[in-house]
Amino acid sequence: MACNTRNKYPAQVFNNENHRLNLYGDNVEVDYRGYEVTVENFLRVLTGRHETAVPRSKRLLSDEGSHILLYMTGHGGDEFLKFQDSEELQSHDLADAVKQMKEKHRFKELLIMVDTCQAATLFNQLQSPGVLAIGSSMKGENSYSHHLDSDVGVSVVDRFTYYTLAFFERLNIYDNASLSSLFSSYNPSLLMSTAYYRKDLYKRRLEEVPVTNFFGSVMETIHTDAAYKALSRRNSGRFEDEMSLDQSVHHIERRMLIKVNDGYEIHDINPEGEEGASKCPWSTFRNKFQKAENVDSLVNYGLVAMIPLLVISTWLVQ
Amino acid sequence: MEKVKKKIGSFSFWNWVIASIIFRLILIYFPKNLNLSSRPEVSTPLTSFRRLAEGYWLKQSSMSSYAGSMYHGSPLLLSLLGPLTVKRIEGQPNHLLYSLVSVIADVVSAMLIRATGQNLRLAYLRSLESLDLVKQIDVSEFLCSGDIAALIYLCNPFTIVACVGLSTSPIENMAVILCLYGACSRLIPLAAFGWVIATHLSLYPAILIIPVIFLLGCGPDSPPRKLFLQRHQQKEVLNQSKLPPGFSWRPIIHFAFWAFLWSVYVLVLCGISLKQFGGLWEMFKSTYGFILTVEDLSPNIGVLWYFFAEVFEFFRNFFLIVFHVNILFMILPLAIRLRHRPCYLAFVYVAICSMLKSYPSVGDSALYLGLLGWFVNELADMQFSLFLFCGYVGVSLLSPVMHNLWIWRGTGNANFYFTTAMVYACLQIVLVVEGVSAMLNHDRKLRILITGKPQDAKS
Repeated sequence: MACNTRNKYPAQVFNNENHRLNLYGDNVEVDYRGYEVTVENFLRVLTGRHETAVPRSKRLLSDEGSHILLYMTGHGGDEFLKFQDSEELQSHDLADAVKQMKEKHRFKELLIMVDTCQAATLFNQLQSPGVLAIGSSMKGENSYSHHLDSDVGVSVVDRFTYYTLAFFERLNIYDNASLSSLFSSYNPSLLMSTAYYRKDLYKRRLEEVPVTNFFGSVMETIHTDAAYKALSRRNSGRFEDEMSLDQSVHHIERRMLIKVNDGYEIHDINPEGEEGASKCPWSTFRNKFQKAENVDSLVNYGLVAMIPLLVISTWLVQ
Repeated sequence: MEKVKKKIGSFSFWNWVIASIIFRLILIYFPKNLNLSSRPEVSTPLTSFRRLAEGYWLKQSSMSSYAGSMYHGSPLLLSLLGPLTVKRIEGQPNHLLYSLVSVIADVVSAMLIRATGQNLRLAYLRSLESLDLVKQIDVSEFLCSGDIAALIYLCNPFTIVACVGLSTSPIENMAVILCLYGACSRLIPLAAFGWVIATHLSLYPAILIIPVIFLLGCGPDSPPRKLFLQRHQQKEVLNQSKLPPGFSWRPIIHFAFWAFLWSVYVLVLCGISLKQFGGLWEMFKSTYGFILTVEDLSPNIGVLWYFFAEVFEFFRNFFLIVFHVNILFMILPLAIRLRHRPCYLAFVYVAICSMLKSYPSVGDSALYLGLLGWFVNELADMQFSLFLFCGYVGVSLLSPVMHNLWIWRGTGNANFYFTTAMVYACLQIVLVVEGVSAMLNHDRKLRILITGKPQDAKS
């Protein structure tokens, strides 16, 4: 849809009239698009029954510990979801696929969100444990779009999706929102339909399940000019540790010297090596001399001393 | 009348100085980013501010500051200017302190140029007196060459751009000018210090040792010695006290001693600073080796990058030697011909270096254009001066345009930009050649005035 030739903003899909968020942006991976979106491919992805030539990027590589979010939107009706104006996904097909997934241990928990007309009927036939499903409307109800974007010429977002996004936009990084708060945030009068969810197959209590079980966040990186202030100052103990490493190579203790590439820390598990280094006075002198700050301040003193030396010498020789 | 004229003259000098400082400050505080420090004409791999900041960051992260072949300057500059690259004051533009250091360096250079110019002017007047030419040459028409040179240096757009563009050229220029000032004023430790620092920061001022030796041995610029002898033959009065003193070796020995002292001091400091990272050999490889082997071929306003981008590996060393000998082989003939005018010799050497060095920039041109101001009286008859001036203006306008066409728009190619570089080199060559011939013509004119008839010897 983003690359449809009738899209006025090619490769951009907005969720709001203000065009603030491009949902088809740089951090979105689209694996199936266009004519590849068929019911057969969808069921193959879910069950993992691909041809051998299908690349890994087009497979659902999940295992028995995975949490999967399955979000479907479009046109639908009583126990079906429309695909590509030509075929439909039926609720028993979906239930079959989920059953196969469970048998093959392809998920631990599955959250199905459906935003179509009469969405709740799509998961009528589900029987596998560990599945949680929510639909935007019940049987006999329609789901409505939220608002029209006159610039693009179509409605940009449906009500259920809009209020789901609104819920997540309100959260900050430290909120520990639970699924129950998400599900109870849907207001039937605002949605103009009843959001119905099915939790009989899901054994955990919804108040205990954080939304981050199924939803992730996209970090926005902001570039600042202060790039050189990022790292901490050099560790003064660093060169001491290096010294003792040189001196006590013959020691057999385990010494873990992790030099992180950014130059943060050095972990020295065994402190005995430093005692060995401090026994010799020459090594302590070299130790002190090689400390980074000392070298720096020495050079700075030398530089500053150049000026009075110059003045004095010029005045003397006059 | 003369006092008033002099007063007016000195008043407007300080006016111009303050105006140029204010103009620099305006450009520093300019709200939109002028991006001067990313222009290839302003910042070269040796003088770039970005590389200095990178070298400082590497040093702070306990790595060798020459790692990654980013920074190729002196470690002393890192200790001196490095903290200024990261210090930020709230509400002020970035790198304000560093820009202020450049402005101060420019002002100090201008003052030193002025003092040296006054010195030179006094020496010139004195030599004219002793040649008894004061009535024949209109001395009151002489412009104040020190003031003019200082103003040319300060108000030159090249200098302003090099200062605001945060390159290290102002500091290198200050070292060179300090060396020349010390040599002119017979302050030997100062001259030695300036020479050592200038050579340490960029390799090429090393050849200034020859004009410095002449300055310390014979004194500032004066007409050729044989003119004095001829004049006294005419007068038949062998008054030795009026003759300029001959060449003396004592100051040279002093200079060698002080230069040795200062070099040991600088090298010891560098050695301490680089103890863990390979020591002095690493420093020489990364600074002088980098300059001599022309490792970085990014475009600049010189001519070497284009050539070395296409030369075959087999011939690379040969052509490196050719290009460097190009500077070296001009040293001896010029020294022989211009030994009575060491400051002018220094100017010619600086001009040749700025043209033929591995990574030239407009900051180097700013130096010799400023030094040119010392000789406005002698070079009054220089040919092609308008052509050169228009040429400089044209090149400085066209060069960024060609660079933009090549890199940003893609409608041009490297030849466009290299054309402006070649034209610039041609202009500098014409300037040097015409300058030297004008100076020799001036000497010839003096000789004609003394002997009354032109000599047939080619001079």
